[in-house]
Amino acid sequence: MTHPGFEAQLDAYVDGELATVDARDLEAHLAQCPECARFRQERLELRAAIKARVPAFEAPAALRERVRAAVGAAAGARAPRRFAVRGVWRPLALAASLAVVAAGSWRLALQRAAGETLADDVLASHIRSLLPGHLTDVLSADQHTVKPWFNGRLDFSPPVYDFAARGYPLLGGRLDYVDGRSVAALVYGRRHHLINVFLWPAGRGPTAAPASETRQGYHLLHWATADYTYWVVSDLGLPELGDFAGLLRQADSATGAPK
Amino acid sequence: MESSELARFEAVVLPHLDAAYTLARYLTRNEHDAEDVVQDACLRALKYFASFRGEEGTGARAWLLAIVRNTAFSARRRQRPDAGVLEFDEAQHSGAVADEHPEAALLRSAAKESLGRALDRLAPEFREVIVLRELEGLSYKEISDVAGVPVGTVMSRLSRARTRLQQALREEEGG
Repeated sequence: MTHPGFEAQLDAYVDGELATVDARDLEAHLAQCPECARFRQERLELRAAIKARVPAFEAPAALRERVRAAVGAAAGARAPRRFAVRGVWRPLALAASLAVVAAGSWRLALQRAAGETLADDVLASHIRSLLPGHLTDVLSADQHTVKPWFNGRLDFSPPVYDFAARGYPLLGGRLDYVDGRSVAALVYGRRHHLINVFLWPAGRGPTAAPASETRQGYHLLHWATADYTYWVVSDLGLPELGDFAGLLRQADSATGAPK
Repeated sequence: MESSELARFEAVVLPHLDAAYTLARYLTRNEHDAEDVVQDACLRALKYFASFRGEEGTGARAWLLAIVRNTAFSARRRQRPDAGVLEFDEAQHSGAVADEHPEAALLRSAAKESLGRALDRLAPEFREVIVLRELEGLSYKEISDVAGVPVGTVMSRLSRARTRLQQALREEEGG
């Protein structure tokens, strides 16, 4: 039995729609209420199930033509500006894109041969994580809960940030297995999208510029800092995912890439 | 309408035809009706286009979806004058299930229903918030503009619709 008063709030929280102050209160509650934590986990599972099983449709080609023809005919027959809409609809201001790096500049050389299989691996892990019950081992929006959870499970302590204030709340973390090694997977949310961040220690080397690719409708971004190799996967649009990756890189360079 | 204005309309509105069709499909639950609603909505959009000051992209999408939504609801009212318009009593729909016959309830418990069917059985006001949120990715504010209800109502409808879908999911897995 969940606390009924919390349900709609929990939904708003999962949707990244809760004000930061309320979110903090709710997180405090979640930390000590297993029922509500379970409720939240079930909502995440429902979201994955909807994503997997409730399709969005493509407008049939015939409809597209019909609409084009009807609109063309109507536009020809009509004098401009006969109607005005009142009040109710105010055009929505487009949120200014904070994209640190424009989508185009991600398109840098990929190390092909090795990169291919690694990308396959990462994508498979991402898709697997969307199955009910696979998303998180540690379910918390608190970076100070998620980070220590990896202690003793990995031989490195991954940097964990929370970007809730920027619209990318931390949802949790889990252990995953990529390219024959255990890696940290951090899960972030963006509206109804999920973002998986895979990271593992890089052989100390030059930092690599970010590169992107798209497979099966998912976008993959990857780069390397002096300390970590990063792969970020999501069905989120590339500009927003680039924005998110920019936040990660910024946070990393601000903290000097803690180990 | 000048041809440059028509070109602008096509550039701003037509990219969102898939989104429009998806919403119409779930609101009408029928592909033919959905096509009619989309075409009708596009003609209405053309009529109002001169007053649309938004940008291309998300703003235009939510704007078009609002028109699709209103077109679908008025088509439904025409077909079913008793359909209770939009003034609908949330308390009466506490299960968020529309039009359920007792027999259907029996059948449902016997045969496991799919998530898609569970969505179809939600009252349209609940169905639309799920589609707008989960399939179209609109923010609460955008949904509130599209559906013409306060954000608080969006929140509560979304929450109750999800609870209902979750029950269906559990029956499916457990039953």
